[in-house]
Amino acid sequence: MVVETSKNREVEKIVDKIVASGRIAALPDESLAMVELYGIDVPDYALVKTVEDAVAVSKEIGFPLVLKIASQDAQHKSDVGGVFIDLKNVEEVEMNYYKAIDNLKKNVPDAEVEGVFLQKQIPEATQLIVGGICDEQFGPAVMFGLGGVFVELYKDVSFRIAPVTEAEALEMINGIKAYPVLSGYRGARKIDIGQVAKTIISISELVTNCSIIKEVELNPLFAYEKSVKAVDARVILK
Amino acid sequence: MSLDKFFNPQSIAIIGATENELNITSAIFNNLFEMGYKGTIVPVNPHYEKVFGLKCCPSILDYEDNIDLSIITISSEHIPEILSQHIERKINNVVIISGGFAETGKRGIVLEAEIKKICRENNIRIIGPNCLGVLNNYSNFSTFFLPWSKIKRPSRGHLSILSQSGSYAASMLDMLYLEGIGVSKFVSYGNRVDVGESELIEYLTGDDSTRVIGIYMESVDDGRRFIRASRLCSCYKHIVVLKVGRQESGINAARSHTGAIAGRYEIYKAAFRKSGVLEVYNLEEFLDACKVLLMQKPARGNKILVITNGGGFGVAVSDMCSDTGLNLAQTPPGIREYLSEHFPEFFIFNNPIDLTGSAGDKDFGIALKTAFVDNDFYDAAIIIPLMPPPAMTEGVVDVISERAKESGKPVVVCTIKSVYTKKTKEKFESKNIPVFMSPERAVKAMNVLVERGKMDGC
Repeated sequence: MVVETSKNREVEKIVDKIVASGRIAALPDESLAMVELYGIDVPDYALVKTVEDAVAVSKEIGFPLVLKIASQDAQHKSDVGGVFIDLKNVEEVEMNYYKAIDNLKKNVPDAEVEGVFLQKQIPEATQLIVGGICDEQFGPAVMFGLGGVFVELYKDVSFRIAPVTEAEALEMINGIKAYPVLSGYRGARKIDIGQVAKTIISISELVTNCSIIKEVELNPLFAYEKSVKAVDARVILK
Repeated sequence: MSLDKFFNPQSIAIIGATENELNITSAIFNNLFEMGYKGTIVPVNPHYEKVFGLKCCPSILDYEDNIDLSIITISSEHIPEILSQHIERKINNVVIISGGFAETGKRGIVLEAEIKKICRENNIRIIGPNCLGVLNNYSNFSTFFLPWSKIKRPSRGHLSILSQSGSYAASMLDMLYLEGIGVSKFVSYGNRVDVGESELIEYLTGDDSTRVIGIYMESVDDGRRFIRASRLCSCYKHIVVLKVGRQESGINAARSHTGAIAGRYEIYKAAFRKSGVLEVYNLEEFLDACKVLLMQKPARGNKILVITNGGGFGVAVSDMCSDTGLNLAQTPPGIREYLSEHFPEFFIFNNPIDLTGSAGDKDFGIALKTAFVDNDFYDAAIIIPLMPPPAMTEGVVDVISERAKESGKPVVVCTIKSVYTKKTKEKFESKNIPVFMSPERAVKAMNVLVERGKMDGC
């Protein structure tokens, strides 16, 4: 069931482009564009293919910046030396533009470079993960958890079958063991639970409406006291 | 199309009929005779003229009257041909007991695909293959080939069991018999080429004699249909599921964390939650959950009162309650004052209320009335009446069950497994007060009522 709305049509356009280029994984800018269409707030970003564009775009986005290699052959960008943070001026952008490409070539010689991804660096926050999958048996489902090492090490996450209601989304948030940390336990930074719930619902809608998506993930989702922002998104098609 | 003919057939054919005692087919006959099945039985086998005194047909093509359901036990390679005879005779419901299909390897997989195709294209409904099939206690009908002399058949009751595993279903029957729990319907559907749990849940939703459905699940047949069917069904009945194969590895080649962590089991859990299905984790919990839901209603909250005459058991139950997340709230002042006026001062009026070894039947009555009937603070109660003290008699069963009834709230009894207790347990359970033979089981059973109470109504 695909609901015909303008945002779905826009998402379909991006999907068509990915399929046309023979990929199943969306590039960072494509993934972010898709989740943005579903109302998820993301820091300014751009994918560039030349160093001149990198310089021009970085001036437009403003500093500090994060620079990442964009290649479907490098799913874990930091493992291949493809992530640079805290870039403060155009010189640093220029230098690291080449460095990112060199590192990728060194680590994955046959890798195809799609370009370089630039994104506004935003202040530190509580890192969360919100994901969606299309399960073979049960269809669309969503996941919520603490991001970073917590998701890998402790798997402190909760799942629900999509589509989820607001009540279910809130249950998912307070269903993880680390919930007290999110709600200000002993002076921990409180986060905007309402916005997190909204984000879960958006991802739930995206996987429900767009049946070609196999997996979608916001990791990390930065959660502040009064807002949330998806720093990285990843969409994988079936 | 309704599955009713599988449960209430007026006429059945048994393909591969024989009196040979070592053959499973003879056991199907004997079981039907022993149960007093009233429908027409048509044995089919080209080698015999009569089987158990019934006229035997060489093939179903030779039988002219209507057949509601056919039971097939012959070896798997002959089944496609037999099924084509069914198409000709317009027999639309088949239970295939025989193994030798997908569970055995390549050839079996091909054969199974073949019968699946025949069934889809010709509108034949199949339960099985590689299964025990069906038992309906209310129509005295079964396709089970395990002799009732070796497996005890529980009396008529309100529990129905759906199981992919035949051995599991059979063991459940034995255990339910020992627990004195009555059953309505059992279905073991084995390789599930056609009819599976989702459709059976839909059928049982409309079955008046089923109040609780227990499912032993290895995998789900159709995830979304299962959720829809269970959601609707759980508005009227309780569904308990034991999911096995929980360690199954995650989705292959998943590249996001979500995909990697979303092992099938995580999604199953989410699906059970969405479906209003209660999940249990082992055989004992499965049995206890079914039993407590048959006998008591869900709790409206998790404030649990414990009344005991054995301090140690009170502590054990308290520990278990806090491990499980049940709230052993302290007795409110009003209750405490009243109890201290009416009981000796060495009784303990905190929760658990410990009436000590000197208590008798009446004291349990007073404590229950004060703290549970006349006061609405607690949502449910676990009562631990240990029987050995001199003042305790079987009369305590009436006292406790009457007070429980007056309260309108759920009550479970915890006791120990002993020769003497066996009789009191039966007495309690004849009054629908479930008894569990250890603190662990009693608390888990209570938690089932609390968890069920938390699920949204429809």
